[in-house]
Amino acid sequence: MKLLSLNNVNKEYQQGDVTINALQNVNLELSDGEFAALVGPSGSGKTTLLNIIGGLDNPTSGLIQLNGQDMTQFNEAELSRFRLFEIGFVFQAYNLVPVLSALENVELIMVLQGKHKKDREERAQHYLKLVGLQTMQHRRPSALSGGQQQRVAVARALAAGPRIVLADEPTANLDSENAFALLDIMHDLTHEEGTTFLFSTHDPRVMERAERIVTLRDGKIESDESR
Amino acid sequence: MKETPQALPLKMLFLLAWRNLWRHKKRTIITLISIAIGFGLSVFSIGMQDSGHHSMVKNAINMGDGHITLQQQDYLNSPANYRFISEGKDTLSQLNTLNIPGQIVPRISLQVLASTANNSVGVQLQGIDVSNDPLLRLIAKKLVQGEWPEAGDDRGLLIGTGMAKKLKAKTGSKIVLMTGTRSGNTEAQLGRVRGIFESGIAELDKFLILTDLSYATRFLVAEGGEKQQQPLTRIAIFLDDEKTMAYWKEKLAEDNKNPDIAVLDWQDMLPQLVQYIVIDDVSAYVMMIFILLVIVFGIINTVLMGVLERTREFGLLRALGLQRNYLVMLILCETILLSLLAVIFGWLIGGSIHLYVAQYGIDFSGMIPEGTTFAGTFMDPVIYSELSMHRIIQLTLIVFLTTLASGIYPAIKASRVTPVEALRT
Repeated sequence: MKLLSLNNVNKEYQQGDVTINALQNVNLELSDGEFAALVGPSGSGKTTLLNIIGGLDNPTSGLIQLNGQDMTQFNEAELSRFRLFEIGFVFQAYNLVPVLSALENVELIMVLQGKHKKDREERAQHYLKLVGLQTMQHRRPSALSGGQQQRVAVARALAAGPRIVLADEPTANLDSENAFALLDIMHDLTHEEGTTFLFSTHDPRVMERAERIVTLRDGKIESDESR
Repeated sequence: MKETPQALPLKMLFLLAWRNLWRHKKRTIITLISIAIGFGLSVFSIGMQDSGHHSMVKNAINMGDGHITLQQQDYLNSPANYRFISEGKDTLSQLNTLNIPGQIVPRISLQVLASTANNSVGVQLQGIDVSNDPLLRLIAKKLVQGEWPEAGDDRGLLIGTGMAKKLKAKTGSKIVLMTGTRSGNTEAQLGRVRGIFESGIAELDKFLILTDLSYATRFLVAEGGEKQQQPLTRIAIFLDDEKTMAYWKEKLAEDNKNPDIAVLDWQDMLPQLVQYIVIDDVSAYVMMIFILLVIVFGIINTVLMGVLERTREFGLLRALGLQRNYLVMLILCETILLSLLAVIFGWLIGGSIHLYVAQYGIDFSGMIPEGTTFAGTFMDPVIYSELSMHRIIQLTLIVFLTTLASGIYPAIKASRVTPVEALRT
């Protein structure tokens, strides 16, 4: 079932007198449960595209529909609510609130969603168990390794029950072992939960794990291969 | 999007705020100490100032004409010997029926010329009930020569050391007191010095003569008063509880049937003292503003630095779906906690100093020369800090609200963070 569709999405930046076309006529569709990678060299527009899909940035023109809703029509507060309920994020670094424990970080979005304490505690513990951090749930981010922090971020993104999880270079700061472990967790959960995962990367080893690879170059989709 | 997010629960907000506050323990503690010291010192200085004012007012009331005074309407603006209450006896008996808790004191005040064989000076003659007037308690123990006149002594005078020096008079000396009446005649009465006092207030010692009412009445009789009616310049009321002053003033004004008699309180009688206190209070408030400015910048510094170094974190929270207004609330919660701690520590410092000084006092006699007067009254040499509940609430609220207001700018700054830019930093 179609979850996300982008039609002729353009994004222009003004840098002094120069107009930079970060995205040009991007057309993309994603279905439920896909595990897709967005690849391309630095500056190809991967982060811009993820930000626009995630409602963190607005396109200059074009149509974006997620779950049948036209995101380009939302105001700031509606986008905020949309991100809260429909989208999960995993960033490259600095994903967690430093003063909260792993469990509290995972619960945070559910607190904002208004879920009851018992429900959110159960869900948070369940997802921390799935990412293998059940015994470290009371540790603060500073007491976790980089890989463990990213796993908490994945647990947080999934526990909130989003339709799609967007991950911007989630393995960039991890060594190979941790990178593959994180990808395996993301991959397994995609299938178990039916959540769609779209992550950006320029690491060829990481790309290999993806079921679909969308390649961006100079703001345009160069290729789109399913495997 | 049928689901509607709830407000970030206060518990979560305060938990985040509290932990954020202690991310940089040293910075928070230094800020707290600086606010607490500033606040503590202002608590102490205001406590001392209030106590000083209270002491001046108390002395002005005791040495002057009580909490409430009844006298002729025009006397305050234009004091003249002929402006007196002609039916003092009736007025006194009416007042006695009211059962006012305190003391009702008849007095005669006259401007007269005092002469001895050596010199003549203008003086104020104060006729009092020598056996019962509150001045008895204050002046009798300050006698340096002679004795307090006995009741009904219709020639006895008490003079201050300053006047004794001017008139070259001593106990037993004769003094002629003389005044011109409204009708153009001269009234002169002979008196004899029974005692010499040194009140500690130079002005009083140079200017005041105390005598029994019976002696002073002669001058009012010369002005047309009838002795049987007990003419008086004023009736002073010394209340047991100063808090009842407004009530009794209003009650007496309502009951007063004589349009020639004015009912005045000490503030009406001593406008210069009221002005002095107001000016002194204003200077204290100016000082308080400077202290508050230091507090404001201390807090802005701590909270703003905390905000600036957390730009990425705010970007993350915004990206996850936290609305701008919750970021404002988060920073304001941090400020509320900081200001609560500051007020608690401030009261611990200021309150401890206050309690110590309220118990043991500070002796200013070395700094204020004896006989120094302020606005017609004087301050006790030892000041015991005083803080009313009104002051405690006022100071706490001022510091708390100022601290809270200091958080507004950093809070707005935090709310302006846009996720994309913040996460790029």
